[in-house]
Amino acid sequence: MLSWEFPPRTVGGIAPHLFNLSRELVKLGVDTYIVTCDFPGAPERELVNGAHVVRVDSYKTPSPDFATWDFLMNVNMQKETATLIRGLGRHFDMIHAHDWLVANAAVGLKHIFRIPLVATIHSTEIGRRNGLHTDYEKMIHQTENWLSHESWRIICCSQFMSGQVRWAYGLPQNRVTVIPNGVDPSVYEKQFERTEFRRKFALPEERIVLFVGRLVHEKGVHTLVSAIPKILSRVNAKIIIVGDGGMKEPLMRQVANMHLAHKTTFTGFLDDETLRRLYQIADVCVVPSLYEPFGITALEAMAAKTPLVVSNTGGLSEIVEHDRTGTKVFAGNADSVAWGITRVLLDPGYANWIKLNAYQKALEVFDWVKIAKETKRFYERVLIEYENGSWKPT
Amino acid sequence: MIFTWEFPPRVVGQLAYYVNKLAVELTKRNVDTYVVTYNSSWTGPHQGADGIKAYRISDKVRPQINILTWMLSLNQEAERAAADVYYSMRHEVNLIDVHDWHFIPAAVTLKRALGIPFVFSIDSIEPHRSRNSGAPLSLSIRSLESLGVSEAVRIIVKSEWMKQEVKHSYSPSDDIMEVVSTESETWIDGILASYEKGLKVPVS
Repeated sequence: MLSWEFPPRTVGGIAPHLFNLSRELVKLGVDTYIVTCDFPGAPERELVNGAHVVRVDSYKTPSPDFATWDFLMNVNMQKETATLIRGLGRHFDMIHAHDWLVANAAVGLKHIFRIPLVATIHSTEIGRRNGLHTDYEKMIHQTENWLSHESWRIICCSQFMSGQVRWAYGLPQNRVTVIPNGVDPSVYEKQFERTEFRRKFALPEERIVLFVGRLVHEKGVHTLVSAIPKILSRVNAKIIIVGDGGMKEPLMRQVANMHLAHKTTFTGFLDDETLRRLYQIADVCVVPSLYEPFGITALEAMAAKTPLVVSNTGGLSEIVEHDRTGTKVFAGNADSVAWGITRVLLDPGYANWIKLNAYQKALEVFDWVKIAKETKRFYERVLIEYENGSWKPT
Repeated sequence: MIFTWEFPPRVVGQLAYYVNKLAVELTKRNVDTYVVTYNSSWTGPHQGADGIKAYRISDKVRPQINILTWMLSLNQEAERAAADVYYSMRHEVNLIDVHDWHFIPAAVTLKRALGIPFVFSIDSIEPHRSRNSGAPLSLSIRSLESLGVSEAVRIIVKSEWMKQEVKHSYSPSDDIMEVVSTESETWIDGILASYEKGLKVPVS
């Protein structure tokens, strides 16, 4: 597997996805190697839950922009992966790429070794940017397009993403397989001193409204911030916003201008353990995304037994069933977001009902063991097609 | 196998004519020569009048934002072309001659992956082209030239002056550098001798 992030280097959802998927694939007997970028303090090579992790120099020379850096990083990733594959006697059956960020390395290696390439498309540039406006965005879009056409088959984490990938790159339906993201509920079962922990974030009489995600437009965090006065007009609450991003400063100014800085906390990036505890003490978790290929935050809240309010968009629409596993609100509509949050906070019976249903669904549908089995079946299918084809080297 | 970003009819500078002359002479000396080169309009293998097999690769990703992203995407196509030849020739590709930095990443990966050594033929270097600019784009191109110098089995330059310039900028070991002047009547013998030396270097 090639990925630009793997713990402890965690930028978005791909790192936890690979961490969990690789652990379960290894248990199913799939010998898994993950080639990823280096990270301060992390070893160049290590075994993580049985998976071989190889960290390559992520290219430190100054680059003109992010995409150029990424393409240069791919030079190193490809070189080191080539060395790895040759060093192990070329006994690799498949390359699995995660998103455009590793497209260059993956496509080249596929042809050089003539082994099948598969890709998981976690999100698309056209979706992230709500259109393609610059050459920079068009280049990334075309790189995704190229990766998806070079891939034997594609995995998407939701029906929404499958539809978007087929539309954006003109792929036939049978090339795209939907295998959901997963969650591990056991990480939310650790005991801790709740009252003590809660005191760091809110007063005892305040209810906690939690947002977790990158502070960028597509995550809709500005909709939540605009909804704060309406929420507070009905419930005494503390809004906790976890994550970093370009919108942080403007949002903090907006909160200050509303004279609500004392009711809103911007925590920045938090470590996993603190975040897991926050989920558990929150009274509601809100995911107000405008664009959401899957919605891993919603899944984490479900596993942590936190009542959910989500915008009715993308993958979130599939994960959450309105009034059964969460409350759905209109994307980009602050009134609707405020309505959903106050509804959950003012009706404890309803909140309890949706959170228990959601937890049950997390256990049954979004189980990593089940997801790894589906992924292994996906690999086996590609291998059979490859073995029966004529592209294999003689 | 020759990697070059210009080859007739695509002519950017003098390099196209030189590589063409090289490929013709190599073919005359019974060296089975494949030229992997760029051309946005013509693709696929092509047998030239002089027996040169040109493999013209095209852009799979357009638009591009700078010369680096363009070349680095194109490197994957160079790898595909080289691998297609490699497998069709039943693994009989002995050496790659890479002209300037453009296809260094592909050559390095092919060396690491398939054990094919490469010679780095340097016509010009980034410190000259960019007048020692400290711009990130220029620094990145220099890093690729540096990678080429450190991974090549031989480095061929056309003058003593260029040899000193390459040494000054990238500090390669003296014994892998070769000066082959194209003015000399026996220049092709010098190139072939350099290839021979390169083939004797074990590739790990």
